[in-house]
Amino acid sequence: MDLSDSSIQPSSTSPENEPTEQQISQANGAMDEYRQFQNGLILSSAVIAGLLFGPIWWIYSLKVASSYLLGASSGVLYLRILAKNVEQLGTGKTQVGKNQLGIFVVLIIVATQWNQLEVLPIFLGFLTYKVGIFIFVLWTAVLSPSTAR
Amino acid sequence: MDPLVAAASVLAAALGIGIATIGPALAQGNAAGKAVEGIARQPEAEGKIRGTLLLCLAFMESLTIYGLVIALVLLFANPFA
Repeated sequence: MDLSDSSIQPSSTSPENEPTEQQISQANGAMDEYRQFQNGLILSSAVIAGLLFGPIWWIYSLKVASSYLLGASSGVLYLRILAKNVEQLGTGKTQVGKNQLGIFVVLIIVATQWNQLEVLPIFLGFLTYKVGIFIFVLWTAVLSPSTAR
Repeated sequence: MDPLVAAASVLAAALGIGIATIGPALAQGNAAGKAVEGIARQPEAEGKIRGTLLLCLAFMESLTIYGLVIALVLLFANPFA
């Protein structure tokens, strides 16, 4: 990156280069908005996993449904850790951490080694967070204009 | 397990996860760098930028996860064993 890039304009600060109260309140407001967004994503993923648990139990079996629920819970945990890593980015950490992938590795190893679990429902359950993200973004952007970001 | 199948599976798992992570790793680094640059330019939009970055990373990292699934299945639940 060219450090002499003149197109980057520093934000206005006081003469002592200390953030003003207005800038601090703006930053706090922005982070509150991010945390609200993060909680919405996690909540929508958890709700969709809970809603799908019943039909899966009804159509397949309790074994498949519990495998799905385990995968979905791990997916929600993965999303939470990823969100925490994104929140810490730029404040001491210079890159997004990879520790959230450890959850998935442990999950698949346990699923393949333990006969009571099935790999495919766990994997599809883990991917439930993507459905949750899709529905939440669709909800905030299209269906609910009053809460659009 | 046949030693040839075992060796081929381990090699395939290593190559699979290695190749599968190249693209997402480059993309994630690029996205994170641009997001930090954007936050530096517009601190008041930090929440929106971080939210968008979270969405992008969640979808980009799923590509790594697909490669990881193939590698772990080859290692721990090999269908050719």
